[in-house]
Amino acid sequence: MASGTTAGPRPVRIEVSGLTKTFGTVRAVSDLGFTVEPGSVTGFLGPNGAGKTTTLRMVLGLITPDAGSATFDGVPYAALREPVRTVGAVLETAFHPARSGRDHLRVYSRAAGIPVARADEVLERVGLTTAGRRRAGGYSLGMRQRLALATALLGDPPVLVLDEPANGLDPEGILWLRGFLRHLAHDEGRTVLVSSHLLSEMEQTADRVVIVGAGRLVRQGSITELRSGAQGAGTVLVRSPEADRLVAVLSGAGLAATRGDDGLVTVEGATPADVGARAFAGQVELHELRAESTGLEELYFRLTAGQEQFSAGAAAPGATAVTTEGASR
Amino acid sequence: MTALVRAEWTKLFTTRVWIGLTIGACVMAGGFATLFTALAGSEQDGGQPGLPAVGTPQYEELAFSVAANASVLLLILGIIGMTQEYRHRTATPTFLTTPRRGRVVVAKLLAYATAAVPIALLVLAVNVVVVLVYAGARGAAPSLGGDNLRTLGAGGLVLVVFAVIGVGVGALLRNQVGAIVGALVYLYVVEPIISSIGAIQGAYKWLPGGAVQAITSDFQAPDLLEPWQGALLLVGYGLVAALLGTLLAVRRDVS
Repeated sequence: MASGTTAGPRPVRIEVSGLTKTFGTVRAVSDLGFTVEPGSVTGFLGPNGAGKTTTLRMVLGLITPDAGSATFDGVPYAALREPVRTVGAVLETAFHPARSGRDHLRVYSRAAGIPVARADEVLERVGLTTAGRRRAGGYSLGMRQRLALATALLGDPPVLVLDEPANGLDPEGILWLRGFLRHLAHDEGRTVLVSSHLLSEMEQTADRVVIVGAGRLVRQGSITELRSGAQGAGTVLVRSPEADRLVAVLSGAGLAATRGDDGLVTVEGATPADVGARAFAGQVELHELRAESTGLEELYFRLTAGQEQFSAGAAAPGATAVTTEGASR
Repeated sequence: MTALVRAEWTKLFTTRVWIGLTIGACVMAGGFATLFTALAGSEQDGGQPGLPAVGTPQYEELAFSVAANASVLLLILGIIGMTQEYRHRTATPTFLTTPRRGRVVVAKLLAYATAAVPIALLVLAVNVVVVLVYAGARGAAPSLGGDNLRTLGAGGLVLVVFAVIGVGVGALLRNQVGAIVGALVYLYVVEPIISSIGAIQGAYKWLPGGAVQAITSDFQAPDLLEPWQGALLLVGYGLVAALLGTLLAVRRDVS
């Protein structure tokens, strides 16, 4: 609890239940329910077009759901007495291009009844102090994301809702964002709900994930729970100075091991633990031992496979779903 | 509400749109005043009477009502003020900050009505200075009292109300280019046609253009409302546009 920036905001819980929204004939979100707890980062995970943005906009009262509700400690967003001081949202990088980032923040400080000096504080917090006086139209995508985050922080809210905030960030920015979100949740006790279509990103950022596919809840739970539930066999890659002997040892143990041209041994239907144990028993020296894809990744693909509304061919690991999000913007 | 109105002023004055439109409005008012004064008293080809001569009440009314011609620029100011929220997608942070969206539209109406007052005064000042100096040079500077003051006040009222109508139209149509083009086509194509076709001419006095004419000039066309009726009608148009715009803004999804 060593933050010093806040005296710990009151914990606020997000509860979503039965959310449903149909656009024309497309059922974008279907009877979706989940909870988001304070003090942790919850990843809202799903392929493009799974209804993540629509859900977040319904949670924030921007889109009216056909059915269901979303509340912050029991209160819907539109009924919050001080919305900006309760929930900060990063939905899209929307700024007037001719207005400086600082003026943008001052506008929303004024509207929310927050002292305008707060604009400079949040600019500093996201590292935009110098760029803040320039026109937002000239900002890079990463700077826009930072300004959007600064806007969300204006009211020092106990809840943060972010829609794909890592989009457009460079690796350094992603690393910074990851640390920043975890700090906000773990050290400052805030409730952080962050959407992404990238499992790898969420694995490193989130404590819990809510997985959606085709507008429906697929699974929710902690990363650890999902990982232990997903300890199924996958593809394991091994490197050894005695590759041929390794293949022999593994094959002898009943594992499907093949040696590639580069000396890398591929083992199908195994876990790194299996392979390591066999190699140790056979006294083969190993230089590298890793799962090609984590069990969680395979679980994610399996859970959401075929659930994209517009999937490109057979939805397999790595298959690219045609995004529907561009069309809705 | 005060905080919201101040936020709208900050939005308005932290971009440069208002500067261009204010300068444009001043140039229009000054330009028309110069033109009408220069041509005052000249006869058209064929000996028909042209513009009234300097020194006549008709000239003074004409010269002091040119500010209303700049009303289209305040209409555009209002339209841009509202539609930029959708064009640049700032409607999202705006409605997140103020989930009761009706309050946003009301704040914008108040902010633009109040911001339009000093702009209108500036336009009127340019109008007055040009007329006093030029007409004075041509021999008869008009007095600034009685009917002339009333004409100026009417022009100022038209400017302010058009800014309010602009906000309402913007909330209604949301598409910036569409709203501006639509407003220009309406004012410069549809209304002139209606006013020139005998069978439907009677409807013209009930339209915004007819209301403006009723307010600013009471001698040209006999088939117009009284000035005060025109003023009420014009304010009514502004409020109806704003009310419809508010209702739609509250109901429509922001995505």
